Amino acid sequence: MNEEFELSPSEQPPSPWKRRFLILLVLTVLIPGFIGLLLLKRFGQDIPVDYPSPTEHFKYGSTGGEHEMGFPYWIWKALPEVCPQYLPGKGYQSLGMVYEKKPDGSDRDLPVGTSQRRYQGVDRVFVNCAVCHVSTVRTAADQPATIVLGMPAATFNMKGFEEFFFRCAADPRFSEEYILPEIQRQGAKLDLLDRYLVYPIAIAIMRDRVLALAGRFDWVFKQHEWGPGRVDTFNSAKVIFNWPMHLLDPKEFDAPADFPSIWRQRQRMEPKEMQLHWDGNNTTVEERNKSAAFGTGTTPPTIDIERIKRVEAWIRDAEPPHFSDFFPVDRSLAAQGAPIYLQYCAACHGASGSEFSGEYVGTVEPLAKIGTDRRRLDSYTYTLAVNQATLYAGYPWRFTHFQKTHGYANMPLDGLWLRAPYLHNGSVPSLRDLLEPADKRPKAFYRGNDVYDPVKVGFVSNISEAGNKKFFRLDTSLPGNGNGGHEGKAYGTELSPAEKTALVEFLKTF
Amino acid sequence: MTSSCKTWLKYAALGLATVAVIGAMIGYDRGFREYPQPDWVTATPDMRFKYGSISAEQDSGIPYWIFYVLPRVFPEKFREDGKVVPGGYAALGVPWEMGRELPVGFTQKTIGFPRVANNCAVCHTTTYRVSPDSNPVFVVGGSGHTTNVQAFFRLLIDCAKDPRFNADILMAEIKRVTHIDWIDQLLYRFLIIPMTKQRLLEREAQFAWLYREDFPDWGRGRDDGMNLTRYFMIKAPMDDYFGPADMPAIWNLKKYDPAKGSRPNYASDTHDVHSVVIDSALGVLGAPPKNNSRFMEQVEWLKAYLSELQPPNYPFPIDKARAARGKVLFASHCAACHASDKTGTALPLAEVGTDRGRLDTWNKDAAIKANKIVKEMGLERKGLVEEDLPGYHIPFLDGLWLRAPYLHNGSVPTLRDLLEPVAQRPKVFWRGYDVYDQTKVGFVSDTPEARRAGTRFDTASKAGGNQGHEFGTGLSASEKDALVEYLKTL
Repeated sequence: MNEEFELSPSEQPPSPWKRRFLILLVLTVLIPGFIGLLLLKRFGQDIPVDYPSPTEHFKYGSTGGEHEMGFPYWIWKALPEVCPQYLPGKGYQSLGMVYEKKPDGSDRDLPVGTSQRRYQGVDRVFVNCAVCHVSTVRTAADQPATIVLGMPAATFNMKGFEEFFFRCAADPRFSEEYILPEIQRQGAKLDLLDRYLVYPIAIAIMRDRVLALAGRFDWVFKQHEWGPGRVDTFNSAKVIFNWPMHLLDPKEFDAPADFPSIWRQRQRMEPKEMQLHWDGNNTTVEERNKSAAFGTGTTPPTIDIERIKRVEAWIRDAEPPHFSDFFPVDRSLAAQGAPIYLQYCAACHGASGSEFSGEYVGTVEPLAKIGTDRRRLDSYTYTLAVNQATLYAGYPWRFTHFQKTHGYANMPLDGLWLRAPYLHNGSVPSLRDLLEPADKRPKAFYRGNDVYDPVKVGFVSNISEAGNKKFFRLDTSLPGNGNGGHEGKAYGTELSPAEKTALVEFLKTF
Repeated sequence: MTSSCKTWLKYAALGLATVAVIGAMIGYDRGFREYPQPDWVTATPDMRFKYGSISAEQDSGIPYWIFYVLPRVFPEKFREDGKVVPGGYAALGVPWEMGRELPVGFTQKTIGFPRVANNCAVCHTTTYRVSPDSNPVFVVGGSGHTTNVQAFFRLLIDCAKDPRFNADILMAEIKRVTHIDWIDQLLYRFLIIPMTKQRLLEREAQFAWLYREDFPDWGRGRDDGMNLTRYFMIKAPMDDYFGPADMPAIWNLKKYDPAKGSRPNYASDTHDVHSVVIDSALGVLGAPPKNNSRFMEQVEWLKAYLSELQPPNYPFPIDKARAARGKVLFASHCAACHASDKTGTALPLAEVGTDRGRLDTWNKDAAIKANKIVKEMGLERKGLVEEDLPGYHIPFLDGLWLRAPYLHNGSVPTLRDLLEPVAQRPKVFWRGYDVYDQTKVGFVSDTPEARRAGTRFDTASKAGGNQGHEFGTGLSASEKDALVEYLKTL
């Protein structure tokens, strides 16, 4: 009878070991696992801020540069206040970075040409393509600025931008004692982890990183000022290889060049591949783009190919705004200029601003013929070209098209009016000046004003400052700034004044 | 109970075996598995000569990613004439075609992991430029007058000796330039980097004479070839003999005819082309071949290719009338040696009087030892001449225009200079700049650009004497010009 009351083994009271085992499991596996997952979520993410619109993506989308070079967001925000003595004025605006306005009229949080990405638990900021390929234009000093995507960043002072960070990182104020209070003053709501762990470490790491790179960029400080709108592209490219820059031939330095416009890339790829860059040292748009992307902090393993492709897709068919949307064009005068253009310019510069056919378009003109300042050409050496062929080794898109050339490439002229100042080194302020022989071109002028001069066709270049903004005086007698070349009968500098005026009017239609 | 235990053990054993097999497969794949070079490498004979593996990757190969980051981690170790030169490997004068991942004469092959080694082309490809504003023309089989071999040897050892040659620093740099998966990361960190360091350091003792302060640098375009053989292959004790010589042009090798006594190598040191190709290739391998029949296949191919390869014609205008006058002078002053049955045969040193350094770096005893070692490798060849040699051979003059600088030790920059008496030949000049000098026939050797790109050559330095071969030096200036004009046609 007792049988039915006899407890089967499974119905015995639970062994204390079971409970102990469960506690052990929770302590050793579940809790650490949970914390691990939290940490993974906090520090393991790699999430760029994305924008559905291709133009927004161009302005603010990521190239992947934040992985290696990104500044923690709050450090980016704090630095202009921590190191104001290394900026020409207030904020990044004073370096000529372009800020869009919010509906209330105040500046947006970050300038055009910066992107954001959350990586290793920190929101990071770094520059993208737009930082060098967006600028503003105003029809008069009292008119609002229009932001133009794809035009050369004519107001952006790249050298000042680089020097600001190196100087600030070397300053004793680049420390948590100065930066953290500034971050909090700006209203950051850092959580405890960020406040006491992430940001103090991030500040130390960032200072070390910038200072570690400072040696590689020492040469930048020794260059004559580039001023706004210019960069020494291919000495910067040498930095990738960590060459001892001070031992290079001095002739390779002081080689600033204007940022180019980047519209209508498809027509530079088809029907024939043009020689790209000022000296025509590459014929492949994608390689040219990836090479430029080094400037946005990307490296082969960290580049965000997918997002760069979106930019590439957009610039393939992006078009410049029309001059006539800003200023009137005298159509009949322009019509008189058309045959002059056809006779003098079209073979090298294309049939029009939107049609690039022409026997010599996109090919290199030997230096002896074009005669413009040779420093940019000499900054690109055979040694650099062969070294660049090692970039992206191990990837299907290793660079294979870099070549040393011996002249400057004939460029199509789309959006020409927004590409002032002219020549590769931006040494001639306006189109009208370019049609003068070199000795009649301005010996010195001011760059960085975004007010447009519709008569000479170029930015206003004869005033040294406006409001609180000082412009950059470009002295054409300094190395790299020579304004000679592209002159003589074949280049239109011997046309009559009336013909020149007509030609310039026609060029406004580009 | 016991049966379930057995089953469990069986599963465990099976699991372990699976792990071991997979591990072994991965180990084989990432450590040893050999992949052929891509098709473009062997697409043409010239490409094969420039970039084709001669199996040197096995022993003297450097893991690709280490090779890749050395210039970035150790830029200060790229040195010529005691000065740091910027520009990575290109700064050491290696011929490098635009768009190519590696310079000419550098081969890439995957044996488990990608490795870089050299082939013959690194020392036997000439570059020249028609003007400073032009890109180089590459001539395969020519003298590698720009390559600084000694600087390259030293670079590798200097890097390996540096405490920064460690897994932490090299891996950090490698991860900046490429993505490598975790298996390769582990392999690089724990095996490849330490082993490479060790292998390079092992060379140091044999390369000790490369660091002797009482010897001048070889400079661009020269190597102390017989000493390389003595110290590397036969492991002779170090002595004071020193004899760097120009990298020779190795086209048209069929000109050597042992039956007529014309033999390759500056002092006719080697019996025949077959032997000299084997010995030179062994020098590049730095070790006995792993597979003799494959090695001999390479040798046979090189022999056939180089026998027929022809030098390029002089690419600039030639004054025909003047050259015709020069031809007559050549017939009376030069042909008896340089275009006769004597060509390619050895001439007693006293008769030509050039620097004896190179001759003294080799001897009968060394030849016997070297022949024995190669024979022990199982390679059949007539080999090195087991005699004490009387002097340098009379060179054939094919492609002479591109073989500057002149004399075996490259101590005279141009042909026109060679026709001057010793006292009037340049005492100091710069080697390894590749812009051509059409007037003097040779490379530009003393302009600011030449001084910057080249290495300084001092004819008063050990084994660098520019004396001797004072033939035709008494001709009139216009006769010399005519003779030089004719020499352009050879």
